[in-house]
Amino acid sequence: MNLTLQINGISCELETTPSETLLSAVRRLGFHSVKFGDEHGLTGADTVLLDGRPVNAAVMLAAQAEGHQIATLEAIGEHPEQGWKQTAGLHPLQQAFIEIGAIQCGYCTPAQILAAKALLDRNPNPTEAEVREAISGVLCRCTGYVKPVQAVLKAAAVMRGETVFSGQSSVFSEQAAGRSETEELPETPVDEGGTLTQTRTMPKMVVAPQTDGWQVVGKPEAKVDAVKLAQGKPAFAADFVPYGDNKKRGLLYAKVLRSPHAHARIKRIDASKAKALPGVAAVLTWQDIPRVVYSTAGQSDPIPGPLDTFSLDNKVRFVGDRVAFVAAETPEIAEAALRLIEVEYEPLPAVLDKEEAMKPGAPVIHDEPEYVPFAVCDPQRNLAAEIRIDIGDVEKGFAEADEIFEGVYEVPKVQQAHIEPHVALTYWDEDDRLVIRTSTQVPFHVRRQLAPVLGLPVKRIRVIKPRIGGGFGGKQEVLMEDVPAHLTIATGRPVLYEYTREEEFTAARSRHPMKIWLKTGVKRDGTMTANEMRVLSDTGAYGCHALTVTGNTGHKAMALYVGDGEYRKSPNIRFYADIVYTNTPPAGAYRGYGVPQGFWAVERHMEKIARALGLDPLEFRLKNALRPGEFHPFSTAWNEGREPRPEIIHTVGLEECVRQGKAAIGWDEKFGNEAWHASVSRVPVSSVPVSSAPVSRDTGQRDTGKRKGIGVALVMQGTAIPYLDMGGAWIKMNDDGSFNLQVGATDLGTGSDTVLAQMAAEVLGVPVEDILVYSSDTDFTPFDKGAYASSTTYISGAAVVKAAQQCAERIKIRAAKMLNSQADKSTGTQGTGTQVKAEEIRLANRMAIAPDGRSVSLTEIALDALHRNEQEQIMGAASHVSPSSPPPFAAQFAEVTVDTETGQVTVDKLVMAVDGGVIVNPLTASGQIEGGMTQALGYAVCEEMTWDETGRIRQRDFDRYHIFRADEMPELGVIFVETYEPTHPFGVKAVAEIPMDGVAPAVGNAVLDAVGVNVDDNPVTPEKVWRGLRASR
Amino acid sequence: MIRAYHRPRTLEEALELLARPDARPLGGGTILNQQRQADFEVVDLQALGLNKIHKAGEKLEIGATVTLQALLESPHAPEALRAALKLEAPLNLRNTGTVAGALVSCDGRSPFAAVMLALDAKMTVISKQSLVISLGDLLPLRDEQLRGKLITQIEIPLNAKLAFEYVARTPADRPILCAALAQWTSGRTRLVVGGWGSSPAVAMDGRDATGLEPAARNAAHDAADEFASAEYRREVAVVLAKRCLEALMM
Repeated sequence: MNLTLQINGISCELETTPSETLLSAVRRLGFHSVKFGDEHGLTGADTVLLDGRPVNAAVMLAAQAEGHQIATLEAIGEHPEQGWKQTAGLHPLQQAFIEIGAIQCGYCTPAQILAAKALLDRNPNPTEAEVREAISGVLCRCTGYVKPVQAVLKAAAVMRGETVFSGQSSVFSEQAAGRSETEELPETPVDEGGTLTQTRTMPKMVVAPQTDGWQVVGKPEAKVDAVKLAQGKPAFAADFVPYGDNKKRGLLYAKVLRSPHAHARIKRIDASKAKALPGVAAVLTWQDIPRVVYSTAGQSDPIPGPLDTFSLDNKVRFVGDRVAFVAAETPEIAEAALRLIEVEYEPLPAVLDKEEAMKPGAPVIHDEPEYVPFAVCDPQRNLAAEIRIDIGDVEKGFAEADEIFEGVYEVPKVQQAHIEPHVALTYWDEDDRLVIRTSTQVPFHVRRQLAPVLGLPVKRIRVIKPRIGGGFGGKQEVLMEDVPAHLTIATGRPVLYEYTREEEFTAARSRHPMKIWLKTGVKRDGTMTANEMRVLSDTGAYGCHALTVTGNTGHKAMALYVGDGEYRKSPNIRFYADIVYTNTPPAGAYRGYGVPQGFWAVERHMEKIARALGLDPLEFRLKNALRPGEFHPFSTAWNEGREPRPEIIHTVGLEECVRQGKAAIGWDEKFGNEAWHASVSRVPVSSVPVSSAPVSRDTGQRDTGKRKGIGVALVMQGTAIPYLDMGGAWIKMNDDGSFNLQVGATDLGTGSDTVLAQMAAEVLGVPVEDILVYSSDTDFTPFDKGAYASSTTYISGAAVVKAAQQCAERIKIRAAKMLNSQADKSTGTQGTGTQVKAEEIRLANRMAIAPDGRSVSLTEIALDALHRNEQEQIMGAASHVSPSSPPPFAAQFAEVTVDTETGQVTVDKLVMAVDGGVIVNPLTASGQIEGGMTQALGYAVCEEMTWDETGRIRQRDFDRYHIFRADEMPELGVIFVETYEPTHPFGVKAVAEIPMDGVAPAVGNAVLDAVGVNVDDNPVTPEKVWRGLRASR
Repeated sequence: MIRAYHRPRTLEEALELLARPDARPLGGGTILNQQRQADFEVVDLQALGLNKIHKAGEKLEIGATVTLQALLESPHAPEALRAALKLEAPLNLRNTGTVAGALVSCDGRSPFAAVMLALDAKMTVISKQSLVISLGDLLPLRDEQLRGKLITQIEIPLNAKLAFEYVARTPADRPILCAALAQWTSGRTRLVVGGWGSSPAVAMDGRDATGLEPAARNAAHDAADEFASAEYRREVAVVLAKRCLEALMM
């Protein structure tokens, strides 16, 4: 059928089918700002405006939209500088999103901006609540919504013609004058007080004195990729489609047939009917491709885990496991072909409960002869990995304790839920090299690990990582690139494979569920004498990240508390773990990498001990916590399956984090204050919200059955893997004094490209706009292990600094020569003018400046180097690996209201004070913290994957798996307590993962504080609290 | 797969199309368009003029293709109905999803259906003749009762007081448990409990509020699923029902 769609004021003719969605149609027409997030419209990434209102293009037929006015982001603003062509520039919303730091991965940004535009077109003066409501149809997994909301409010003020306080420039000038000891912007009015024109987008900062005088590092620079993301440019993996509709070389769409059984042998598989379907280009089963065992865990060589996976196998090990691949001309044909594949299964007994996995007689999940073990594992017992770590003399420590506290805790399987699904495009290039354009955190691991699977040498594979729509560890996996790659090899044609949201829940990776036993010995004064953790961890059907994730559970969560006095000098710590296979979807890497699981248990346990001993919970924790100058206790015993090397912790800002966090949440006024706890138990009826209790005309008070509570958790993480994680960087100077910075580091929306550019700019004395960052492409950028383990700023950043220093050195040498030559010319005799040495020159403001004030511009130096005298390419190339993994530390606070009759918990406020070392960019770093706290909030109260008795995951969409929306967020507070980490040239540590660690236990502890109920398995759901309340009555 | 798309201009034309085998009425399409496995035709109702809200005395007549958001924004919508609509779906989906579509495709977790059931909403269904059927009678056999037919209007009373209470994991999550209570000036009291199963359950429809608590408890007697146990729902349904009643008494 033929349609005419009115898109952005233009009539677009379209040949379509009745079933084509509006999303598919607008993307085919080239409007790539409209994204696929899910097949249900619940992410809102597919937002377009239909007659001025935001709607979901993925659940609307193209035909339905005929006769309506459709708007996409492409119609709104463009780059302000396009050579000789004058443009109107960016829309105020786009400008505000860039300036406020509202863009992280940028995948949902077009939808957020469109939704906001629909609001401002109707209501130019919205309240914060109205803004939150307006963008509530667009899920964001990166930002925590703080900055997008503030950006909309700022844009509204700009569009009204008001003078707007500019958070960015004001802070910049304040900092440029010298970063004050404590910087804080004016408080934001809470809400309902009219429009905000004083946006509060910057966190509170306690700055390190060593940063004084820095020009670029430490400043809230706009993200280097923000302008393109604010315009919805085709920057993501699925946005690039080669060769058009050409039937010989045109794009094919891949789909995967998945197992309905948790455990079964494929007795017979017949794809002949599917292959005969018109439009089908290839169907592959296990009989068609080589049988190569590998691991999907994206990690350095050798993979610290078993090799137990095949692209396709004659056995399936979970509901959702792969059975066959199809490539067809359209996704619909590919889906139809899946239904034509005949499969005869021999169902096998399944193991769905981790506690059953190692019992004698349990079904063996991995009986394949090709299985390659790593370290201690035993597939015959479904044991994927085993950890046994003893530090000090644990039994002696227990014997010396006055009290022993034991507890059992559980944590669930949860999903990373990045809004951009896994997606990869593969094609042969003109040199018959296989190009894999993929949304990955680990492009170099993809290339290395897939080469044997595909039967290609590494050198014949090129992996391109474009912009990534969030990863959170889910894309530290060579999860699905092999599917289109096999199909490209089979057909010779480009193949696009994009996960559905259901596949994300049933066939991607997730956080390891664990059962955790804790035993702690304590003296009556609060001195810990020994601490023991035993873990049963469920890796699911495959052992990807099995050892390393669970190893981190102990390595970080059990390292924070070492004891005090003599015990501090020689801690007694035990960490034992069994990581078992089950017939459930595999677990893997997820932001925090095992540590949130550990801290749920440890911090709930610490709270119970403090209360039982009558100790202040914060003083008790700090008494036993790590201090600067001490060894990381686990560094003497474990290193991800490699040889351990002792490591000293140089910087610990934990006490200051506690001080700042307590002040921000009002701890001293609230903790132990019964009046505060009961402050919501009776309220005037007029203040009861409609949704919780309808309004009364009465003027009396109503018993709400509610109580408030406050809780805390102290946490630590790591920064990269010592002696292993390596990143490289290249920098070259251009004719105009700008620089190309090429890094293998993988910006997955975190802003790492920006902070790397800031570090280069600081060394080279230029603004960030003069650093052109490109990441990452295995052909054109140096190796980097990828984006994981909170490593990029620390490891890749140090490589960038080294490469920049090499450039700077050459620049200074040439500058000295040029200045000396000019001086000689003025005197007429060589060597008689005022001479300057290269090492005396400093680089600033795009100039090389001598101590006496003489200067030469970087442009002049570049032209001299490239064209005029003793020509050379000024460039630097360096890599970095660190012997240290300096831990960031944090104090995380939560304030809750508990409904004592229903058990419902409402989180009112979260505060995180974090020591992440020096903060290179307060905007992007605080965005990381806010987004991480929001993900962790889901872990605390609502996110959980469960399966039925057949092993089928119950939560397969964002209806049953709820993640927080803009209109239901608690207040978030972020404080950076800077320490200067001596092992990095700019003193940085990390902020990426640590926000995941402490929210859930802080919420659990706040519930305990409110109503005296201990919930030991998260999430803290209404029924668990209600049961606790009933039991205590 | 949707194999044909129709956009009739008149009700007669729509009914003629809906008489075809495998033809289904398309409201906003937010549910129907997701069904990729079945093979069917769609009859888009957007051009039939069924998107009007009209206050007729003590009744509110809501056209079948009124969007959820349009109803939410209507000055005639009771506060508790608005609260339920906000929980029904995110804003973007509310801008497309229609009231009739949401009701006929609802499951037990639908707060909107719970509130409309409490109000004893009446659906006008047309085929060769017009028929008014209550939502409570329609839902149990909705597929059979609507085959080849078309809902044109939904009517709710404006002279009934309405309260809505819920428990959820987060403020904007769909309820684990909800209760909607409507009370007419005659004293008639109608309680609906939802949050699980194939549709919200009418717990009681009495002359007054007598027996409200056991009715709430009984309605949830086998209400177990992955979100909560039946025991929890039985006990907390009583709490929510009482809160609803308290709200109506104020």
